[in-house]
Amino acid sequence: MSIQDQRKLIESIHPFELLSSTTMDNLMSKIDIAYYPNGTLLISPTISSIAFYIIIKGSVTEYIDDEVHNVYSAGDSFDADALIYGKTKAKFVVDEDLICYEVKKEDFLDLMQDKKVQSYFLQDFITRHQQLKEYDQQSDLSPFLISKVSDIFLHVACVVDADESIYGALKKQQELRAKVIIVKEVEGYSIVTDTNLRQRVLLGENDISKKIGSIASKGLITIDVNDFLFNALLLMTHNAIKRVVVLENERIVGVLEQLDLLSYFASHSHLVAVQIDKASTLSDLKLLDQDFKNLIITLRAKGVKVRYITKLIATLNFKVYKKVFEMCVEEELRDKCALIVMGSEGREDQTLRSDQDNALIIQNGIDTELFKAPMMKLNSHLLELGFPKCNGDVMVSNEFWRRNTSSYKELIEKWTYDMSDESVQNLSIFLDAKCVAGDCTLLDELVTYLHSSFHSRDDVLAHIAKAVLNFETPLSLFSGFVLEKEYNNRLDLKKGGIFALVHGVRTLCLQYEIKATNTIERIKELNNMGVIDKTFATELIESFDTLSSIRLKAMLEAKTIDEANYINPRNLEKNQRDLLKDSFKIINKFKKFMSFHFHLNMVV
Amino acid sequence: MFGFISRFKTKANRSKLKDKNFEFLFQEDRSGEYVVFDTETTGLDPKKDEILSIGAVKIKDNKILTSQIFEVFLQNSKEISSKSIKIHGIRPFDLKDAKTTKEGIVEFLNFVGSRPLVGYYLEFDVSMVNKYTKEMLGITLPNKMIEVSEIYFDKTISMIPQGNIDLRFDTILKKCGIPNMGVHNAVNDAIMTAMIYLNLTFSKKK
Repeated sequence: MSIQDQRKLIESIHPFELLSSTTMDNLMSKIDIAYYPNGTLLISPTISSIAFYIIIKGSVTEYIDDEVHNVYSAGDSFDADALIYGKTKAKFVVDEDLICYEVKKEDFLDLMQDKKVQSYFLQDFITRHQQLKEYDQQSDLSPFLISKVSDIFLHVACVVDADESIYGALKKQQELRAKVIIVKEVEGYSIVTDTNLRQRVLLGENDISKKIGSIASKGLITIDVNDFLFNALLLMTHNAIKRVVVLENERIVGVLEQLDLLSYFASHSHLVAVQIDKASTLSDLKLLDQDFKNLIITLRAKGVKVRYITKLIATLNFKVYKKVFEMCVEEELRDKCALIVMGSEGREDQTLRSDQDNALIIQNGIDTELFKAPMMKLNSHLLELGFPKCNGDVMVSNEFWRRNTSSYKELIEKWTYDMSDESVQNLSIFLDAKCVAGDCTLLDELVTYLHSSFHSRDDVLAHIAKAVLNFETPLSLFSGFVLEKEYNNRLDLKKGGIFALVHGVRTLCLQYEIKATNTIERIKELNNMGVIDKTFATELIESFDTLSSIRLKAMLEAKTIDEANYINPRNLEKNQRDLLKDSFKIINKFKKFMSFHFHLNMVV
Repeated sequence: MFGFISRFKTKANRSKLKDKNFEFLFQEDRSGEYVVFDTETTGLDPKKDEILSIGAVKIKDNKILTSQIFEVFLQNSKEISSKSIKIHGIRPFDLKDAKTTKEGIVEFLNFVGSRPLVGYYLEFDVSMVNKYTKEMLGITLPNKMIEVSEIYFDKTISMIPQGNIDLRFDTILKKCGIPNMGVHNAVNDAIMTAMIYLNLTFSKKK
């Protein structure tokens, strides 16, 4: 019984759960618990490693060249490399009283005979990272089993009294665009479907002035709004029906159609796209807001990589922009300008809408004043649609971001010598520009001009790149992560990791004149040009994906935008935490690369 | 003076030993190891109650040798009261493979040898074991005994003289930063006690 407890503890630590029962028995008879007080030096280049440690409580910091390289805490284990290669350049120091399991060197090496364990410990970053991710997804519940009826779109129920004439009921059904008529009887409800109408009115002898109650079928099949969608599907299959009536506290709140149910699970992204195209008024578009969020939630729960979700969302958002643009700008003006989105929207990194960054490029020779009113309207429409206001006022409603081509060129000119924070910031935003409506060649022209202006201007580039080092990567002493006290021990994902990566990659792309705006595509392009090697590129992409997906989770749970960038690593699952830590390590590696590439240590 | 009395007592105890095969209990210990042990019993009165299980683990230097865990369940003369089942969680069913008390105690004595004993409220566990050894061998456990709550008390009292010190097991666990391993059973409690012991004797800050 009690040896079982020890065993369970070990088995809960990846990859030990992969071990067969006999190997595990064998291992259990070789494991000791050790205690090391604060400050103990466990392994160093001169003290060779004698055991494999699995932490029960406490923490250990790994230093390489006196720099914190990693921090291990409860559930973590170390250090396979030191045991396998018999030496290490790292130093492992206990920084919080350590209680740990110890597997002696020989026993650990025996354990490595097991292929699965071996592959886990001998993998490089990328494979290990991917394995952890897969492992993580297995534990996700299938969305099919956890989605509730309340999560899905419900049709308005058309409820009429039994005394109503068939004609009157059909009129009402028409108005409400309902698929069926629900008839309120003295006791309970009955239903009139198209089949009833065909059989009893068109083919039968009833005429439409008769009472609707006379042609209704008894036995309404219902489901509670809090029930699982899976049960709704079972109900439909079992009763061979195409819809169920949804109740909330015994009251009818809507009708769930089989078609919606199925398309819900098929992520119904195409439906959203069609609906955007069909929208003719602002309120049509507004209705779609919830669909966006649902789409993100469903795709995420299905384990779709965040980079594909953001791509899809970006495409849909561009459609919305285009639609709003058409609503606001007169037809004859549309090809005299280009509407561009910048920042995260331009990079197509956006999932849930953060602030809007947009601008308008106007053809030379056209009066810019003509665009003032339409752009004000466009801005207010976007705000109404739930695209939050930009704090830096990077919006078409601001005159600064509504200029003609030559005026933009002057601005770019200024960016090449003016090193003020504001200019660097504006340049950074503009670098991510993507055209969504109007004459897109206007933007192409500017981007080409931008690239040629910065050609061989490594001094300015270094200055821009410097921002990568602005924020410390939060991987350090404090139990594995440096947490910000004022934010309830949470860490800032954007500042701590995403920014450095996005900005660094962006600056490199300016230097190498790469036109792509999406961070992942940019990394791939940089790899194609030989700026970074294949392994490093993949590491960067995987890290970016991990950070984005953890951030997305935080955003979905956060109540305000400000809160959305903060996460508390303690609330993450162990695997997630490992993934996060690994990603931060790659970010650090990237920062070093940037420092070296732009000689940042020489830039003041 | 005290040394003299304890030597005298040991001698008296040894002279009562009925079975020469157990001489090893009195030999000087050279292993450098300690044994932490805990028992689960039918109740709290050593006169009436019986041992249900014994869990023990060795400590060497800063290590708890969980690779050599000792755990034994003992047969009982009486039915286990439902009240005590709630505490130790040992059901009559769990005792179906149990050993006779004699076998169990002999195995335990072989495991312990003449190593010093460590425990929490050790006096109770030792007197429970003594009850059997007296009957079987005529002796009480001659081993040196180390009470963790006493070490804890000494360490804490120096910081808060005249203070009331909470000596409950769970409190000590928490104060020493030992993870609670869940279910209370003889082996788990022995391991946790061992962790407390290591914490108290090795930790620098306390």
